Amino acid sequence: MTYLITGGTKCGRSRLAETLLQQHDGCNYYIATMQPYGTSAQEAIARHREQRAGKGFVTLERYTRLDTVQVTAGCGVLVECLGNLCANELFGTEDPDHAAERILAGIRQLRQQAELLILVTSQVGADGIAYPPETMRYLSLLGEINCRAAAMADTVVECIYGIPVALKGVLPC
Amino acid sequence: MILIIGGAGQGKTDFAKTVLHQTELQSGAECPLPALMQASCITDYHLLVRRLMAEGKAPLAFTEQLLSQDPEVVVILNEIGCGIIPVDETERRWREETGRCGCLLAERAKAVVRLCCGIPTLLRGSL
Repeated sequence: MTYLITGGTKCGRSRLAETLLQQHDGCNYYIATMQPYGTSAQEAIARHREQRAGKGFVTLERYTRLDTVQVTAGCGVLVECLGNLCANELFGTEDPDHAAERILAGIRQLRQQAELLILVTSQVGADGIAYPPETMRYLSLLGEINCRAAAMADTVVECIYGIPVALKGVLPC
Repeated sequence: MILIIGGAGQGKTDFAKTVLHQTELQSGAECPLPALMQASCITDYHLLVRRLMAEGKAPLAFTEQLLSQDPEVVVILNEIGCGIIPVDETERRWREETGRCGCLLAERAKAVVRLCCGIPTLLRGSL
């Protein structure tokens, strides 16, 4: 079962994703993609750690190369989030021209290994701003990844101010 | 007229091609205005609004004319009004004019489809 959870910032995506993961019996992984650079990233990481505390997830920090992650067969996996992963794959030390392939390979492999895969992503690109080319490239990559991940997912949910709306499939809770 | 909306990179053009079988897509950013009046499908309508404004033409009047001359057109329009309202007046007016044109197009459309992550949601009418 694969979920894609999208929405704007602070709209309840993580909360929903963690609730879904908690409902899965067995080993559950939380794959964190945010690099701890800068105060706001560190604050976000601390807030998310607190929110996850006591939920029994195994946390893996993976900023790039989702395709190299190995998890126990039949487990639950939450990836948070594809927006960070895209930025890390595009602007880090990996080859940016093959960012989409690496990310999609990672998603496919996790789908095969895990019983439950929850992908949290971001909704960007609706502000009409003509950003510099590298940012437009990021918007285009994230848009493509979101479309491809949504096609693979059983359920796609858009969170709007904490309200989950099913765009595809059925809401489980 | 069918209106396809959504943010950048959400699969609007793919939807027009695969679901609505559009093969001749004219760019609102570049295509000469007379050709747009006979277009089967216009992409980047928000950039057409910007271009019309830069040329001193009224986007809403152009849209009215398009609707009467090319009533079967498929229009692809990005949602651009979901950010902070820009301080710059040209930028601000562009979002406003785009919003007004979007409302007019949606009102007259036989179907309005919004794409998110490649998934179409029918907001109005039927396909």
